[in-house]
Amino acid sequence: MNSPLVVAIGNRLRTAGYDDVATPFRVASVSFDFTKAMRGSEGRGLDLVIVVDTTTGSFGDTDSTQVRRRIEALSRALDVARSSLVLTVVLAGAALAGDIEALSETCRVLIVEPISVDLDGNPQDDKARRQLEDRIRLLLPLEIPPRDDGQGNEPTAIESLVAGVPDDVNKDFLKALMASSRLGDEAVTQELAAFIGSRLYVEGDE
Amino acid sequence: MKYAQLCSIDVANFRSIRGHIHAPLDAKVVLVHGENGAGKTSLLSAIELALTGRVDALRRADPDYQLQLLHKRALSGYAEVSVSTEEGIERFRTELAEGKVSPGRVLDDEIAEFFGERAYLPQSLLGQLLQIYQDAGSDSASPLARFVSSLLGLDRLDALEAGLKPLADVRNVRKVIDGWSTVEIEKGRLEPLIKDQWDARKSLEHGVLAKRGELRVAIEALGIVPNPEIPEQVSILATDREEDDAALARLTDQLRVLASIRRDMADQSDSDASMVESELSDGAERSTAALRAWQESYGDRSSDLRARVETLIPHVAFSPDLNLFRAEALRLLAGELAQSADKASRGRVDARQLAEAQDQLVVANEQLMTIDRELSAIASNSGSLSAALAEISSFIIDDVCPVCDRNYAELDHGALSDHVHAKTRSLSSSADRLIALGRSRSDQQASIERLQQSIGGLASRQIDEESLAAIDRRTTEVVDVQRALDALGPALESGQRLIEADVAARQRLTKTQQSSGRRLAIRGNLNELANSISQILPGEGETIEAFADRIELALTKERDRLTVRIRNRAAALEAITAIRTAKSQMEQIDSVVSGYQAAWDRNEAALQRAQALRSDGLKIRDAVDAVRSSIIRREFNDRLNRLWRDLFVRLAPGEEFVPAFRIPEASTQRLQPKLYTPHRDLGDDVAGGTPGAMLSAGNLNTAALTLFIALHLSVPVQLPWLILDDPVQSMDDIHIAHFAALLRTLSKEHSRQVMIAVHDRQLFEYLRLELSPAFSDDSLITLELNRSSRRDSQCIATRHGFREETALRVA
Repeated sequence: MNSPLVVAIGNRLRTAGYDDVATPFRVASVSFDFTKAMRGSEGRGLDLVIVVDTTTGSFGDTDSTQVRRRIEALSRALDVARSSLVLTVVLAGAALAGDIEALSETCRVLIVEPISVDLDGNPQDDKARRQLEDRIRLLLPLEIPPRDDGQGNEPTAIESLVAGVPDDVNKDFLKALMASSRLGDEAVTQELAAFIGSRLYVEGDE
Repeated sequence: MKYAQLCSIDVANFRSIRGHIHAPLDAKVVLVHGENGAGKTSLLSAIELALTGRVDALRRADPDYQLQLLHKRALSGYAEVSVSTEEGIERFRTELAEGKVSPGRVLDDEIAEFFGERAYLPQSLLGQLLQIYQDAGSDSASPLARFVSSLLGLDRLDALEAGLKPLADVRNVRKVIDGWSTVEIEKGRLEPLIKDQWDARKSLEHGVLAKRGELRVAIEALGIVPNPEIPEQVSILATDREEDDAALARLTDQLRVLASIRRDMADQSDSDASMVESELSDGAERSTAALRAWQESYGDRSSDLRARVETLIPHVAFSPDLNLFRAEALRLLAGELAQSADKASRGRVDARQLAEAQDQLVVANEQLMTIDRELSAIASNSGSLSAALAEISSFIIDDVCPVCDRNYAELDHGALSDHVHAKTRSLSSSADRLIALGRSRSDQQASIERLQQSIGGLASRQIDEESLAAIDRRTTEVVDVQRALDALGPALESGQRLIEADVAARQRLTKTQQSSGRRLAIRGNLNELANSISQILPGEGETIEAFADRIELALTKERDRLTVRIRNRAAALEAITAIRTAKSQMEQIDSVVSGYQAAWDRNEAALQRAQALRSDGLKIRDAVDAVRSSIIRREFNDRLNRLWRDLFVRLAPGEEFVPAFRIPEASTQRLQPKLYTPHRDLGDDVAGGTPGAMLSAGNLNTAALTLFIALHLSVPVQLPWLILDDPVQSMDDIHIAHFAALLRTLSKEHSRQVMIAVHDRQLFEYLRLELSPAFSDDSLITLELNRSSRRDSQCIATRHGFREETALRVA
């Protein structure tokens, strides 16, 4: 029976397309047992996630030395097996900074400090849900907010400008100015000075 | 056209790449490795050059960057990129020659801009990103603002806005645009000229109106009916004027003649003196005879008497008038007589008084001597002794003397006290006497002195006997002359009367003789004058005064009429001349003004054309403002901040503060972005300061990188490429691991073709592992660049395919 925090992490990852990996599992004929192991699918098919319960976990999860030793062993086994799997360790519960750093040399480490979740592993409110997601954000899909104006091609700044300029404006002038805008404001001023200057001739004068 | 994937690149002699290299790019991830200087950045820049025909990052640093593009030892080069699209493979190529870049086919501007802004993160841009966080400034010129502007494509808008700014203020317009001031000044110069001319014309018009009024009055007075509109069209004959002038000159002469006649007349009275002239002549003879008779009988006596009087009173000039002479002589002689009598009598009185005073002085001196004798007899101390005795008498009891103690009784002269009392009394009466004598003596003395003074005065005034006799003789003579004058008085009076009558008779005669001749002459003159004037008939039985009056009235009337006529004609001519002059001046002004006006119109037209462009420029600027603020609002909404936050939290899950843009609330003029750091869990409630103040160097790099990616992701994808040039220079291991995971997410979940160059070998190896193909369709190409000074650049490409993962087995 896992702690609610581990359950919560598992639930969230499962929603994101991760599958539970049955434990214990073997890599290069070595058997590994962890509180929880999960693996991504499709684009994340090479992601292997190990969850360590630093507060109440079994398999020596509460002892940082043992945790490190076991993770290093797994890493070495994956190397030996010439595996492309990328290992991510999620530390659920408090952990010492030094331990995290030491562990980081071996694999990617994410820390989920205690977050208010109920016994079934459901975050108690939106804030708690977001806290949980932030901690394991790297493992979750990147959601790009949909555009307000559908999927149409968004006009560039210059296109918007062309559309926004009133119709009665001299088109040649606008074109000349826009061409010069690429070279900076002084070029624009020069262009406008030259353009307007060319219209300032007085008939009958030389 | 939809661009799917970069397929390959060929580069020759571009920047640090010497010779030709070819690199396949057709994989979901392309990992480039090379030592510093091996040509990583050149390879990535070559992609930009091929696709867009320019290298923005270099151009920002050096406008003449094109001179630097060709490899130093080469004469020509090129960059060519092939891209797969829906329609097949497209090739983009830019040729390089010495100092010259010749783009062939390039991406459309819009797509090229997307590439420059959102697909390619060159190191310089990342360096700029890092600088941003160190610079706290938040104004529109801050590096952050410049960076975000350029990423949002606002730099061109900013350039437009800033470049058009001078249009807002006409002073700057003048400064910036050649010729504007010249035209304005010319226009401004012409305006007062035109106005002055108009003013001058207006005052001329007023003058013409006034002169026409005067002219109308004048020609009406001359008896001509004026043209109501243009009264100056009238002919006033010069011959008329000459006639009038001659007539007036004639009149003036006649009046002058009349005036001189009148002067002659002024002395004359109108009694006809010729009748009395002989009478007067007889009278004059008679009076002369009477005078002569008087002189025979009284002449000698009269002159004798006058001589006597003048001897007596020598210094007076007496009147020749006999009566006056007599009265004056009598008055003076009476005064002379009184004075002599007074002098004689005063001399006699003085002589008598002197004798009396001398007698009185003798008596007074005798009296004084008597008083002095008595005074010397009386002891002078009798008063004090009597007082002492009176005092001592109270000590006398019997006959013994209190002083000498002798017994007075021995003398037998009675009692001592009686003796003393008697002595006291006698002494005291002597004292009284002494006082009385003193007073008398001083009185006597004073009267002696008075007498002596009076004697002195009288003696000095004493007149001697001879003088007194002379006075008496003169007095007698005066009395004689008086008497003679009195006796001769009536004779003198009648003589005087005779003299006066004679003189008057002669004068009357002379006057009458003169006047009768002149009056005749005057009348003749008047008749002559009247004849010369046509309306006047010579008067008969009329006095010459009345006749002259009549002539003068007629002449004056005619003169006045002519004067008015001449004046009116002169006024009319003067007015006509003035009007003509004014009209010709007005015509001149009109031609000058029309010249000025034409010049003004031409300048105004030029200025109007320029003004129209200026207002177009301002409209463009307004549109720039509007577009920019709409872009800012669009981009800086929660979407961008949310994406950025998501990406940042992925890479730095341990960081409590996350960077974010403070979204501009109002529509802003120019982008003035502010960065701040809301708390990861608590949001704005526990927001921190700027990222530079809140984040470590590694996290700053992360913030910059994630911002670029967030901007790339926050717009619809036009080019699904992310090209990153060595973006992890100051990341620590943790970040690198997370960054690799993020790249994987972008590549595998969001189908971005990721191309990343790194110089660190270990990192390269690590990324190669992390970015290994995860599924059958997945792909990775690694490119290893190396270079030596002796040979051409080399690029070794390795394609890594998908391999089924079998390491993990259920136990």
